[in-house]
Amino acid sequence: MIFRALLASAFLFTANAHAADFSKGSKAKEWNLYGEEKALFSGKVVDILCELTGNCAANCGDGKRHMGIVRSADNQLIAVLKNRQASFNGATEDLLPYCNKMVDVDGLMIGEDEVVTTKFYMVQLIRISGEDKWNKTTRWTKQWRAKNPEAKGKGAWFRRDPRVKKQLAKTGHFGLGLEFDAKYLEENE
Amino acid sequence: MLTKLFQITLLATGTLIGSGLTPASASTAGKVVEIKGEIIDTWCYFSGVMGDSDATRGTAHHTCALWCAAGGIPVGVRTEEGEVYMVLKFKGEDPLEQSDTIMEIQSDIITARGMHYLRDGVNYIVVEDVVANDGITYLSHEDYDSVPPFSAPKKKK
Repeated sequence: MIFRALLASAFLFTANAHAADFSKGSKAKEWNLYGEEKALFSGKVVDILCELTGNCAANCGDGKRHMGIVRSADNQLIAVLKNRQASFNGATEDLLPYCNKMVDVDGLMIGEDEVVTTKFYMVQLIRISGEDKWNKTTRWTKQWRAKNPEAKGKGAWFRRDPRVKKQLAKTGHFGLGLEFDAKYLEENE
Repeated sequence: MLTKLFQITLLATGTLIGSGLTPASASTAGKVVEIKGEIIDTWCYFSGVMGDSDATRGTAHHTCALWCAAGGIPVGVRTEEGEVYMVLKFKGEDPLEQSDTIMEIQSDIITARGMHYLRDGVNYIVVEDVVANDGITYLSHEDYDSVPPFSAPKKKK
């Protein structure tokens, strides 16, 4: 009888953790994305590959690996896809200074896919757990400039990125070749 | 005392079993898989920021996929059934190496062999080998033109 009651309590606790609302106190900016929910929580910043497999690299891969957050409230590994910048930037550069540290994060859980029902995270603010000052997740562009000094110039980074330009020169904008691009331009003048 | 210890252990065990969670820092058992799917940009695909998920695949979204891959957004392999495997390594390379490897396969349909890990509902893959590459086959520009519109080719000035 006691065993059943305890087991039932354990499952109830778990169900509550899954349904937990992390939006309380969040100051995350809304983006009107699929399944968007504000989420403020604490956890440990991890190198995902290391967390899953034990294949760990110094300093969480030094910016070369995808990073996540193991949420303290329910031990879930939260995959972080995006920082707060609005120009196609991931989150690794913003999580890297906190490798293996406990942090508070504020941002958005997103996604309502029919097949992949788990949500993913956009981190907008981060701080060492318990500190007062929040840091905006905007490190990406500065790091890109440092890695690509030859790409100096005006305009968005993605118009100047050497790796993007190299692929576009090979495959065209639709991946169907340069002749296809030329034809598209003719038809859409 | 012993009873209390038993109760705490039972509660913890029940919680973990019920949630399907893994204790912190414990490695997750992987298994060898061979999957076929399209290389996608996971952010645009799941967030809807560029429209519905079909618009964020294939030819229409190819340039945006290049931007996102270069921007460090995780790349995924999307199977025909709609499962998505986040790529954690690709043929020995970390995914955010500043190399061309991950750029060259954007929007392609590949057959990948590697190790699959599942944690908290997310599929991850360490791609060890690409068995086949069918190239870009989803001609989504026929329905969506260029996504986003400013990713369309422009005449050189």
